[in-house]
Amino acid sequence: MTHMMRRRGRALAGLAIGTAAMVALAGCTTTTPEPGESGDSGEATTGGTISIAQTNAVTALTSATPDANLNTNGMVDYLMGNATGPGSMFYVDSEFNVVPDETNATVELVSEDPLVVTYTVDPEAVWSDGTAMSTTDLLLSWAIGSGWFDDATYAEDGTVADGNQYFQLAGSTTGLDTTEFPEIDAEAGTLTLTYGEPYVDWNLVNLIGKPAHVFAEHAGFGSVEELATFLEETPAGDPEAPVEANEQLQALAELWNTGYNITSMPTDESLLVSAGMWIPKDFQADDGGFISFEPNPEWRGENQPSFDELIIRFIGDPNAQITALQNGEVDIIEPQPSADTLAAIEAFGGTLIQGSQLSYDHLDLTMNSEVFSDPAVREAFLLTIPRQQILESIVTPVQPDAEVLNSQMFVTNQPQYADAIASNGYSDFAEPDIERATELLAGATPTVSILYNINNPNRVDAFQLIQASAAEAGFNVEDAGSADWGSLLGSGSYDASIFGWISSGVGYAGLPQIWQTGGGGNYNGYSNAEVDALVDESQTIIGDTARIDEIMIEMDGLTREDFYGLPLFQVPGLVATNGTVDGVVYNGGQTGAIWNTWEWSLVG
Amino acid sequence: MLSFIVRRILASILTLVVASFIMYILTAYSGDPLMDLRGSNAPNAQLLIGQRIERLNLDVPPPLRFFGWLAGAAGCLTPFTPCDLGTDLNYTAVTQLLPNAAAATVRLVSAATILAIIFGIITGIVSALRQYSAFDLGMTFVSFLLYSLPSFLAAVLLKEFVAIDFNNWISSGDSSIGFIPTLVVALIVGAIMQALVAGSARNRVIAFAISAGATFGLLYFLDAIDWFQNPGLGWGGMLLLIVGIVVGVTAVLAGFGNRRALLGAVIAGVLAYAAFFALQGLFAISTIWTIGILGLATLAVCFVIGWVIGGPDRGQVIRVTMLVGFLSGLLVVADRYLQSWPAYLASPRINNRPIATVGEQTVGLSGDMWLMGLDTFTHFLLPTISLTLISFAGYTRYARAGLLEVMNQDYIRTARAKGLSERVVITRHAFRNMLIPITTIVAADIGVLLGGALITERVFAISGMGALFNISLNRVDVNPVMGYFIVIAITAILFNFLADLSYALLDPRVRVK
Repeated sequence: MTHMMRRRGRALAGLAIGTAAMVALAGCTTTTPEPGESGDSGEATTGGTISIAQTNAVTALTSATPDANLNTNGMVDYLMGNATGPGSMFYVDSEFNVVPDETNATVELVSEDPLVVTYTVDPEAVWSDGTAMSTTDLLLSWAIGSGWFDDATYAEDGTVADGNQYFQLAGSTTGLDTTEFPEIDAEAGTLTLTYGEPYVDWNLVNLIGKPAHVFAEHAGFGSVEELATFLEETPAGDPEAPVEANEQLQALAELWNTGYNITSMPTDESLLVSAGMWIPKDFQADDGGFISFEPNPEWRGENQPSFDELIIRFIGDPNAQITALQNGEVDIIEPQPSADTLAAIEAFGGTLIQGSQLSYDHLDLTMNSEVFSDPAVREAFLLTIPRQQILESIVTPVQPDAEVLNSQMFVTNQPQYADAIASNGYSDFAEPDIERATELLAGATPTVSILYNINNPNRVDAFQLIQASAAEAGFNVEDAGSADWGSLLGSGSYDASIFGWISSGVGYAGLPQIWQTGGGGNYNGYSNAEVDALVDESQTIIGDTARIDEIMIEMDGLTREDFYGLPLFQVPGLVATNGTVDGVVYNGGQTGAIWNTWEWSLVG
Repeated sequence: MLSFIVRRILASILTLVVASFIMYILTAYSGDPLMDLRGSNAPNAQLLIGQRIERLNLDVPPPLRFFGWLAGAAGCLTPFTPCDLGTDLNYTAVTQLLPNAAAATVRLVSAATILAIIFGIITGIVSALRQYSAFDLGMTFVSFLLYSLPSFLAAVLLKEFVAIDFNNWISSGDSSIGFIPTLVVALIVGAIMQALVAGSARNRVIAFAISAGATFGLLYFLDAIDWFQNPGLGWGGMLLLIVGIVVGVTAVLAGFGNRRALLGAVIAGVLAYAAFFALQGLFAISTIWTIGILGLATLAVCFVIGWVIGGPDRGQVIRVTMLVGFLSGLLVVADRYLQSWPAYLASPRINNRPIATVGEQTVGLSGDMWLMGLDTFTHFLLPTISLTLISFAGYTRYARAGLLEVMNQDYIRTARAKGLSERVVITRHAFRNMLIPITTIVAADIGVLLGGALITERVFAISGMGALFNISLNRVDVNPVMGYFIVIAITAILFNFLADLSYALLDPRVRVK
C-alpha cells in the first residue's frame, strides 16, 4: 500500500515538474515566428550602409564639456548639428573655410563698433522630433557659452575658490563673456547680441546647440516659454558677490554637464534630438563598439545623404582597422599612418587618401635662458637644425611628398600658408649651415639642454638628429628629455623644447595665448613689443580677415627675426577606403573624414 | 578548518591592502595625469587642469591619496555603505566601467578556456598513453610551437587565412575546395590517425588508408553538394553522428559488456533522433531560454531512463545515458544553427563575408536567436581559436605529465593485477587522480584569465579588462587601474584559496589545519 502511495506520489511529482516545464517552455518562446529569417533584409535595399572606423570610442553625445572633449564625440556633434556641422549655423570644410549653413538660422553682422550680431531662426526650422526651433534654443546656447549665471572666482591653479560654476565648458567663455543679455524678438525669431569688446572670432559663435525643449523637460519647466522667462528673469552671476546656488540652473547644468554622457544606447529618446542631417540609431560603448546614425526625418537642408545608415565603428588597433577594411567590415578607416600601414593597405588594393594633420612639431628656444639670451647664439643654434633630415626620417616614409613646415602661424592645409612662406624667411633654415653657425659662435661651445617627450619616438629621433648636427658647430647638446615633459613646460629647467601644437585651423582668438608676453601657452618667455601690439590689434578686427592674415604673416616674420625657434613638420594623416565608397575627401581638422557625408555614395 | 579559513581570509585582506598600496603608488608615480591638458592650447586649459586636480585630489601626494581611495573601496565590502572606487579622468565612475569590461572578458575567455581544458586534457592523455610514439612527439612539437607563438602573430595569421581568405572563398561564387587541398587534408588526417592507432605496420597502413579515403570521400561529397553554402546534417548525417556518439560514449565510459549502459545510450540516441524531427517547429519560435529548458528536460529525461534501467551499476548507466542525450541534443541544436547559415550569408549586413575580424557583433543585424547566435559565433571564432591555441598547449603538457606519473603508481599495477581491463584502469583509476593537479592549475588560471587577454582584446577590438588596464595605465588614470587590480587580486586570492580547499576534498591524505 505504502509502496503504491509512494509510486503515485512520485508519478504526481513527475507530472507536476513536467507541467511546470511545459508552462515555462511556452513562456520562453517568441510569440510569432520571424517573417523572414534574414531579419530586416528589406531595409538595406533602399540605400545602404557606410561604416567608418575610428580609433577612439564615443563617450557622449556632445564634445562641449571637459569630460567629453574627444575627437569622436566631436564627430557626433558635427553629424547632429550640435554647435558645428550642417544644421547648426556653420561648418568648417576641409580647407578651413567657415561655410554658413542657413537651413535653421541666419547670422547678420549689424554693426562693427560696438559689435552687434543678429541671429534669425528660420520660421520652418524644426528639431528631429518635430518640435519647432525658437529663439529660446539660441538663448540657452548663449547662456551656457557665456557663463552669464556663473559667479565663481578661481584660484591660481584653476580650481573654483568661491561661488558657482554651472555649465562646464571644454572651450572657454572668451568672447561671449563680454556680451550683454541678448535682445529677443520671439515673434520675428531674432536674437541680437551686443559685445562689450570687439571679438575677432564673432563669426565662430554657433548658437544652435542642444534643444531647449529637452532642457526644459529635464529640468522640470512646464514649457520652453517658461524656460525663456526663467533665463530672462534670473539675475546674472557676480563673482564679487556670489550667492546661493540656483536649483533650477543646477538642474539645467546637470543635463549639460553629465546628461549626454553615454555608456549604452540611451532609453531617453529626447537625448537623441538633433538639428543636423543625422540622428543616433544605436550605440555600443568602448573598443569594438559603434554608434550608428539614421537620416533625420525632419531634415530640410540643401545637402542630402545618399545612403540610409552611417556607422562609426570603434577600433583602437590600427592593424585591426586595416584587416577590417580589407574584410569589408568597415568601408573607410582613418588610422594614424605609418610606413607599414600604407604598405598593408596598398597590398590588398585599398584606396589611400593622404594629407597633413593640423598638429605640428616645433623647436622652441627659451628666450630668457642663460645661453639663449644672446640672439647670435640663437641664430647659430637654429642654423644647425637639420630640418630636412628630420622630415625625411620621420614623415617622408609615410608621406613621400611632405615638405618642411615653414610657418609658425599657418599650416599647409590653409590657403594663407603660401603667402606666409613667401615673406617670413623661415625657408632660410631649410638646410643646416654649420659654417655660418661656427662663425657666429666664434669659438664658444655653449651647452644647450633640450626638453622633449622620451615616449614619443618621433621626438626622440628629432632630438638625436639635432644633437648630432649641433655638435658639429660646437654646441654641447644635453638630453633633458622626460616622460613628464608636459609638467616641465615653462619651468625654465631647459634651454629648448621639442613638442607639438595643434593648429585650430579657423579662428584667431588663440593668438595671445602663444605669442603675447606672459600668454598661457607662451612657455619660452617670448616677448616682443611689436608682436604684442600686432596681437592686440588682431583681436579687435571684425570681419576683415584679410587684415588679420596680414598681421599674422608680419608676426611670422618677426618671430623669424627674433630666432624664436623653428617649425619642424606637420604630422601626416591618412584616410583609406576599400573602394566601396565614392566622394571621401581628406580633412586634417578635428572632424576628420565624416565632414562631407552628403557627398558620399556607395559604388555599384 | 574554521580557524584555517579565518586565518586565510585575514592574511588575504592584509595581502590585498599592501598590494593595492604598492600598485597605487607605482601607477600614480608612473607619469603625469595632466599630460593631455598641459600640451593642450585650449584657451581654458588652466581651468580644466584645476578642475581635474580638484576632482581627483591630485594635489594630495599619492601615498596619502591612497587612503582616501581605500576608504571608498572599503565601502564595497559592506552591503549598506556606498561602494566608491573613484572615477576615471573623464569622471565616469569606476564601478560603472568594471562590469562591462569584466563581462566582455568573460565572454571572450570562457569558451576558449573550456575548449583548451577539454582538448588539452584529451590530447595529453592520448600522448601519455602513446608515449614516445610519432603522435606523442608530434604533439610535443606542436604544443611547444603554440606555447611560444606570440598571440598577436596568431591573431594576424588567423585574420588573414581564416577570415579574409575564407570570406573571399565563400563570396567568390565558385566555392569549390579543389582537388589538391582535398587530397592534402585527407593525407594529413590519415597520418594523424595512423599515428594514433600505432601498433604494427599493417595496422597503421590500414588505419591510414581507411581514414584518408573516408576523409577524401566525405570532403569530395560535401563539395559536390555545395555543403559549405547550404550546410546541415540532414536525416542521414544526423543518424550517423548519433550512432557514433552512442557507440563512442558507451565504449569509453562503460564498455560494450555493460548491456544496460548500451541500452540506455541507444534509448537516449533514439529519443534525440526523434527530437530532431519533432522539435523543428518549436525551434522556429525559440528563444535562448527555450533551448535552456529543453536542455534541462533532456538531462532530466535521460537521468530517469538511466535510473529506471540502471540495475546494479546505476550510476554508470545514468552517466552514459545523460552524456549521450546531452551530446546528441547538442548535435540537434547545432544542426538548427547550420540551417540558418544560408540566410545569415545572404543578409545584406553580412554580404557573404561571414567571419569577422573585429568586435562582438555585426552592427544593425537583427533576426531570430539562430541568426544572432551565428553572428556571435563568427565574431568570437577567431579570438577564441587564438586564445585556445595558446593555453591548450600548457594543459597538454600538464595532462601528459600527470597521467604518466599516475600510471607508474602502485595502485595502477594493483588494478591491472586484479585483471581489470585497460579501459577501466585508465578511466576509473588513473584519470581521476590525474585530475587533482590539473584542478589546481585551472583554479589558478581563472584569476589570470579574468585579467583579460590584453593583446587579443586589442587586436580583435574587444574592450575587456585588459583593454581597461592598458588604456588607463597609459593615461596615468589611477582609479580604473586600481579597480582592475582589485578584481584580479580578489579573484586570484579567492581561487587559490578554493584550490587549497579542493586539495583537501579531493585527496584524503591532505588535512587542512
